[in-house]
Amino acid sequence: MLGMMLKTSAGRKKSYGKDLVFRVLMIIFLLAGLGMAGCDRVSHQALPATDDQPMWSVKNNKRNERVPSVVDFDHELDFYQPAKTEYNFYFTYKTVHPWWDAVALGMEDAAKQYEQRGIIINYEYLAPNGASATDQIRRLKDAAGREFDVVGVDVADVDVVTPVINELIANGQKVMTFSSSDAAREDGCNRIAYVGNTHNYEDGAKLTEALCKKLDYSGKVAVLVGTMGAPCHEDRAFGAQDVIAKYPDMEIVEIAYDEDSVEKSYDLATGFLNEYDDLSGIICCNMSNPVGAARAVKEAGRQEEIVIVGMDHDQEALGYLRDGVIYALGVQDCYSIGFDTLQVAIKIADGHLPGELYPEKTEEITTIIYQDSAGTLLQTLYGEID
Amino acid sequence: MEQTQHIAINKRQRKQTAVYAVVGGLLIAAILLITTIWVSSSARIGTSLAVNKVSEFYLEELAGRRAQVVSEELNSNFAYIENALGILDDADLQSQETLRLFLGEVKRIYGVEKFALVDENGIVYTEQSTSSGLSMYSFLSEELTEPVVSTTNLYGAKKQVILAVPVEHIAFLGAQIRVCFIQINIDEMLSSLTLQTGDNETYCSLFHRNGESLTNNDFGYLKAKSNIFSTLSEAVIDEGFSFEAMHSDFSNGKSGQISFNYRGSKEDLCYVPVEGTNWMLTILIRDNVITEQISSISSGMMRRSIIQIIITMAVTLFVFLALIHQSKKNARILLEQEKADANRIRAAFAQIEKEQAAMDNIHAAMGSGLWSMEFNERAQIISCSWSEAFRKMVGYGSEEEFPNRIESWSSLLDEKDRERILKEYWDTVKDYSGAKTFDVEYRLHTRHAGCRWFHAAGRLSRREDGSPITFVGLFVDIDDEKKLEERLEKQKMDLEDALAAAQHANRAKTTFLNNMSHDIRTPMNAIIGFTSLAATHIDNTEQVQDYLSKITTSSNHLLSLINDVLDMSRIESGKVKIDEKETSLPEVMHDLKTIVQADITSKQLDFYIDTADVVNENVLCDKLRLNQVLLNLLSNAMKFTKPGGIVSVRILQKGSATDGWASYEFQVKDTGIGMSKEFLEHVFEPFEREQTSTISGIQGTGLGMAITKNIVDMMGGKISVVSEEGKGTTFTVSLRFRTCSGAVRMEVIPELKGLRALVADDDFNTCSSVTQMLSIIGMRPDWTTSGKEAVLRTKLAEEQNDAYAAYIIDWLMPDMNGIEVVRRIRGLIGEGKPIIILTAYDWSDIEEEARRAGVTGFCSKPIFLSELREILESPYKVQDTEASDKDSGVTFEGRKILLVEDNELNQEIAVEILQEAGFIMDVADDGVVAVEKLKTVQPGQYDLVLMDIQMPIMDGYEATRQIRALDNAVAAHLPIIAMTANAFDEDKKAALEAGMNGHIAKPINTVKLMELLREILK
Repeated sequence: MLGMMLKTSAGRKKSYGKDLVFRVLMIIFLLAGLGMAGCDRVSHQALPATDDQPMWSVKNNKRNERVPSVVDFDHELDFYQPAKTEYNFYFTYKTVHPWWDAVALGMEDAAKQYEQRGIIINYEYLAPNGASATDQIRRLKDAAGREFDVVGVDVADVDVVTPVINELIANGQKVMTFSSSDAAREDGCNRIAYVGNTHNYEDGAKLTEALCKKLDYSGKVAVLVGTMGAPCHEDRAFGAQDVIAKYPDMEIVEIAYDEDSVEKSYDLATGFLNEYDDLSGIICCNMSNPVGAARAVKEAGRQEEIVIVGMDHDQEALGYLRDGVIYALGVQDCYSIGFDTLQVAIKIADGHLPGELYPEKTEEITTIIYQDSAGTLLQTLYGEID
Repeated sequence: MEQTQHIAINKRQRKQTAVYAVVGGLLIAAILLITTIWVSSSARIGTSLAVNKVSEFYLEELAGRRAQVVSEELNSNFAYIENALGILDDADLQSQETLRLFLGEVKRIYGVEKFALVDENGIVYTEQSTSSGLSMYSFLSEELTEPVVSTTNLYGAKKQVILAVPVEHIAFLGAQIRVCFIQINIDEMLSSLTLQTGDNETYCSLFHRNGESLTNNDFGYLKAKSNIFSTLSEAVIDEGFSFEAMHSDFSNGKSGQISFNYRGSKEDLCYVPVEGTNWMLTILIRDNVITEQISSISSGMMRRSIIQIIITMAVTLFVFLALIHQSKKNARILLEQEKADANRIRAAFAQIEKEQAAMDNIHAAMGSGLWSMEFNERAQIISCSWSEAFRKMVGYGSEEEFPNRIESWSSLLDEKDRERILKEYWDTVKDYSGAKTFDVEYRLHTRHAGCRWFHAAGRLSRREDGSPITFVGLFVDIDDEKKLEERLEKQKMDLEDALAAAQHANRAKTTFLNNMSHDIRTPMNAIIGFTSLAATHIDNTEQVQDYLSKITTSSNHLLSLINDVLDMSRIESGKVKIDEKETSLPEVMHDLKTIVQADITSKQLDFYIDTADVVNENVLCDKLRLNQVLLNLLSNAMKFTKPGGIVSVRILQKGSATDGWASYEFQVKDTGIGMSKEFLEHVFEPFEREQTSTISGIQGTGLGMAITKNIVDMMGGKISVVSEEGKGTTFTVSLRFRTCSGAVRMEVIPELKGLRALVADDDFNTCSSVTQMLSIIGMRPDWTTSGKEAVLRTKLAEEQNDAYAAYIIDWLMPDMNGIEVVRRIRGLIGEGKPIIILTAYDWSDIEEEARRAGVTGFCSKPIFLSELREILESPYKVQDTEASDKDSGVTFEGRKILLVEDNELNQEIAVEILQEAGFIMDVADDGVVAVEKLKTVQPGQYDLVLMDIQMPIMDGYEATRQIRALDNAVAAHLPIIAMTANAFDEDKKAALEAGMNGHIAKPINTVKLMELLREILK
C-alpha cells in the first residue's frame, strides 16, 4: 500500500503543478476580494507558518487583539438566479463526525438564504457511523433511483467509489464531489465538479515543515492517516512523506490508518510510543488522529519530547494545542465548504458545466494555527475558556 | 450761598445714591453667583447618588423579569412540541414529503427556526433536510428520558437554542422516532428584551453557567461569543464586589450584581438564573454614560447660570439708566400732548352730540334703530350703545332689560346666522385697511314677535394705524320683505320639483309600461308557445313534460310580476295597514333562513346569518311585513350574486331607544354585481330598474325596492343602501319597535359562572356575538376561527388544568370540519361536557354521524341569547325536540277532503292534485251546498274542508261562519282552509276572522298547499 501511495504521490504532484497557475490566481483573488480580511485569512499558498509568525491576523492593532478568522460565517449567495423553484439533493460523506456537522451548518444557511429568495432546497445529508466505502457505494446506488437533481459525495475511497460515480453519470445522474475528498478527473472520475479542500497535499507538507523546523530537522517520526483510500487523508500523508524525504536526518518509522476513529488513533499512537523510545514526532492527517495521538502522549507524560502536528478543529485537539501537547493544527473552513457546495449543486442541477459560473474545483482555505491562538479559537468556536 | 449749599448737598446725595446702587448691584450679583454654584453642585451629587441607587434597583428588577420572560418562552415552546406531536397523525407519516410538509407547517405556526424529529438511528428529519445528527446534537448521544434545553454543536456559527423531548410510539419509515426538538434563534428571543439606542443604554444577554455566551451579539464592550469570565478577568472590579463571588454565583445559579471598570468604562452587571436551565440572564448598564450625562448637564447648567446672571445684571443696569433718561423726556412731551388732546376731544364730543341728535330724529322717522360702539387701541370694545328705537324693535323697553353690551344683541341671533354674523362683525372691526364694510341680513329672536329678519349696516372710524375708534350702524326690520321673498322662492322650487317629479314619473311609468309589456309578453309568449307545442306533441310524454316544466317556470314568473304590481298599487292607494302583534325576532330570523335555504344551496352561495347585542327578542311589530321587507332584500341579494358569492344577514340591537322601545338594524349584504351611482339615487322609486339588470338578463318589475321602502316608511323606519358596481350591496333597515316581554334574562347561570367556554367558527361576527353572550351568562369565553386551533387550545387547556366547560363549534370550517373537530376534542376531554354544533344549514343528514362523534346538541344560526342560555342550561333538550319533529310525518293516503268550489276548471285542477297526493275528494259547488253537507257530517267523513271565497250564492266567509255555528260538533271543529284568488293580507286576515284555519292563494302552489295540509292534519 505504501508503495502504491508513493507512486501515486509522484503523479499527484504533477497534477498539482498543472493547477499551480489557477491556484495562485485564486489566492490573489481571495486576498484582493477580502480587502481588510486579506490580512485575516491566509491560505496554504502564503508563507509557511513559524513559531514567530503564526497564520493569524490582527484585526485591530491598537487593541493588540488576536481575532481568529479561519472560518468565514458571513456568506451571501452569488448573483446566479436558479432556473427552478425547488431542488432535491442527496449528499453522502465519510462518517458521522463533527467536522461534517460544520459543513452541514454552511449548507443549512445557504438553503435558508435560497428560501428567502423563494427557492426551496430539499436535501438529505447522510453518512454511516463508521467510514466505509462499501456503505458509500450502497448509498450512492440507492440515491440514483430516487430522482435527485444532484448527488454529492465526499469520496471515502477513490478506487472503490469512482466506478460507481461513473456508472451514475453514465445513467444520466448528475454527480459532484465535496468537502474533504475529491475523485478527480485525472483519477478517471467523471464527476462534474468538486467543492472543498483542493490542497490536502500542501496542508500535509506545511504541517510537516513546521514539525521539522521545531525538531531542528532531525529525528524519527510516525504518520497517522485516516481512512485508507480517502484522497484527502492520503494526499496529506504524501505531502508529509515528501517533506521528510528532503531532510536526511529525519525518518518516518511507521505509517498507520485509524479509520477516522479516535479510539483507534489512540491505540496506534500508544503502540508508537511503546515501540519507539526515540520517537520525536507524530504527523496526523485527519481530525481524529491528533486527538488520539495527544491523549496517548499526554498519558505517557512525553509531551515535552514529542511534537504533534495535525488537522482540523476538534474541541479536544484545540485544548491540547492550548496546553502545548499539540504543536500545530491545520484548520479548514468547513462552513464555506457547505455553503459553496449547495451553490454549485444548483448550477449543476440547472445543467451548467464548470466554466464561467463556477470552477471545476472550488477551493476553500486551510489555516495553520499554534498555541497562542488556541484559546481564542476555543472560545469562538466552542465558548470554552481556561 | 444757600443755593450753593443746596447744590452741594444734592451732588453729595446723588454720589451717595450712585455708590449704593453700584455696591448693591455687585452684592446681588455675587450672591446670585455663589448660590447658583452651590445649588448646581449639590444637585449633581444628589442626582448621581439617586441615579446609582435607582439603577441598582432597576437592574435587579429588570433582570428578574426578563429571566422570567425567557423561562416562560422556553415553557411555551415545550408546550408547542407537545401540541404538535398531538396532532401528528398517520397521514403525516406516510412519506418524507408528507412529514416535511407537516414539519414545515408546524415550524411556521410556532415561528421557530427548526422543528425536527429524530429516529432511533440518529437521522434528523426537518422541513427541508434529512441528515445524520448524532454528532451535531449532543443530547442525542444518550437516550433522552426527559425534556432538555441544549445548544447545537456551536462551531462559532449563529447560536441556536434546542428544546428536545423524548418521543414514544411513533414510527417513520420502519424506525422508531425517539426525539422531537425545536430550534430557536436565541437572538430573536432576546431582541425584545434589549433596550438599546445609539451607543449606550441597557444590554441584555444569556450565558451558560460556565460563562459561555449563548448569543451572537456584542454585550456592551464584551465581544460577541466571548466568555464572560474571560472578559471580566481583564476588568478592574469595584470595591465591594469580587470576580470570585460572581464566578461562584454563576456556578451555583445564584443572582447577583457586580460593578467593574472595563476598557475605561465603568459598568454595572446584574445576573439572575433562568429557571429550568443552566443559563444566566445578564443585564449590563454603562455607569459612565449616566455620570457623564449628569456632569455634562450640571456643568452646562452652571455655565449658563453664570452667563445669565452677568447678562441680566448688565441689561438691568442699562435699562434702568435708559428709563430714567427717557421718562424725564417723555414727561414733558406728554404734558403738552394731553393739553392738545383735551381740546380736541371736547370739540369732537360737542360735534358728536350734535350729530347724534340729528340721527335720532332721522331714525324715528324711518323706523330704524341705531347702535354704536367704541374701541380701544387693541380693537377691544370699551363701550356699546343700543338706541331706544332698536330696543323697541326687538321687544325691550329699557336698558335694564336690554343692557348696553354686545352680548344683548348677539345672544338673540338665530343659531343659523350667529357664527356667520359675528365673524363678519369682527372681520370688519379688525380689518385695519378699512376696506371691509358691514352690511348683513340675519334673524333675531325678538321678545314678542318671534324670529324676525333684520338688515344691519355700519361704518367704522379708525385711528391712523387703522385700529377702530367707533363703529356706528343701523338696524332695519326687513322681516316682511324677507318672508315674502322666501314664499316666492319656495313656490318657485315647489313648482320646479313638481314639474320634475311629474316628468320623472311620466318617464318612469312609460319605461315601466315598456318593461311590463316586455316582461309580461316574454313569459306569456313562452306559456302560449309551449302550450301550443305541447298540444302538437301530445303523444311524446317526455317532450310534453319538458314543455310543461317551462310553462310552469314562466307562469310562476308571471305571477310574481302580477303580485308586485298589485302590491305596489295597494300600497299607493293606502290599503295596506301595519298590524302590530307580538313577534319573536328569533322566529323571524329562523323562518327567513329556512325560506331562503333552498335557493342559497341551489345558487351555490355562501350564507352567513348572525346577531349582535340583541337583548329584546320579543317585540310588537307586523311580522308579515317585516318578513316581506327582509325577504325582498334577501331575494334581491341572491338574485344579483353569482355562484360562489357571499350573502349575509345581520340583526343588531342599538342601545339608543327610550324605555319600552328597542331599536334594531337589519343588514342584508351581498358580494353581487352592485349598482351604479346614478341608479342608487332612484333605487327606491317605483318602476326603476338598473339598466344592467335587463342587460344581465335578471328580470323584475322594478317595484320590489319601492314596496320595501314604502313598508319600511309605514313601519316608521329608515332604509339605506351602500353599493359599488362589481363589489356588492349592503341594505340597512333601521326600525324601532315597542318591546313586549322585557329584555331576555341577563343574569349569570350559577352552574357555569367563571367556567371557560370555547367558540370555534370561521365567521368572525359569529365568534364575536357568541363570545359576548357567553360573557353575559358568566362564562370565560375564548374563540378561534380555526378548527385545528380549537383542538390545540383544548389540549393546552386540559394540560393547564383549566379545561373548557362547554364548546360551541361551527359545522363547516375551511381547515377542519366541525364533526372532525368534535371527534378530536372528545378524544381529549372524554364524555360529559356539552359540545354544541352551530350551523346555518339543515343538519338532519349529518346528525347521526355527529352524535357518534360526540356532539351533544345542535343550534341553528343565528343564535340568540335566550337560545344559547336554554341550550347550555339543558343540553339534551334539543334531542327531545328533534324526536318530536321526527314524529311529524303525516300521510295523506285515505284522508278525506270536501272541496267547496264553484268553478269547474278549478275543481278539476284541485281534485287532480289532491287525489294524486292520496286524498279522497268530495266536491260542493257552492257555500250553501257545503253547509248542507256538513250539517249531517259523521266523524271520519271529512278530515278537512278547502273553501273558495267568491261563490255565487254564499261566499266562503259566510259558509265558514255558518259551519262554525252548527250544532254538529264534528262540523264545527272541522279544519277549513281558504283556497282563493283573494290573496292579499287583509283577505288572509278576513279568512281567519271568519273561523278558518289557514289560507292558500290561487293559482295553487302544490308544494305550499301540501305543507299547509300537512301542518293542519298533523
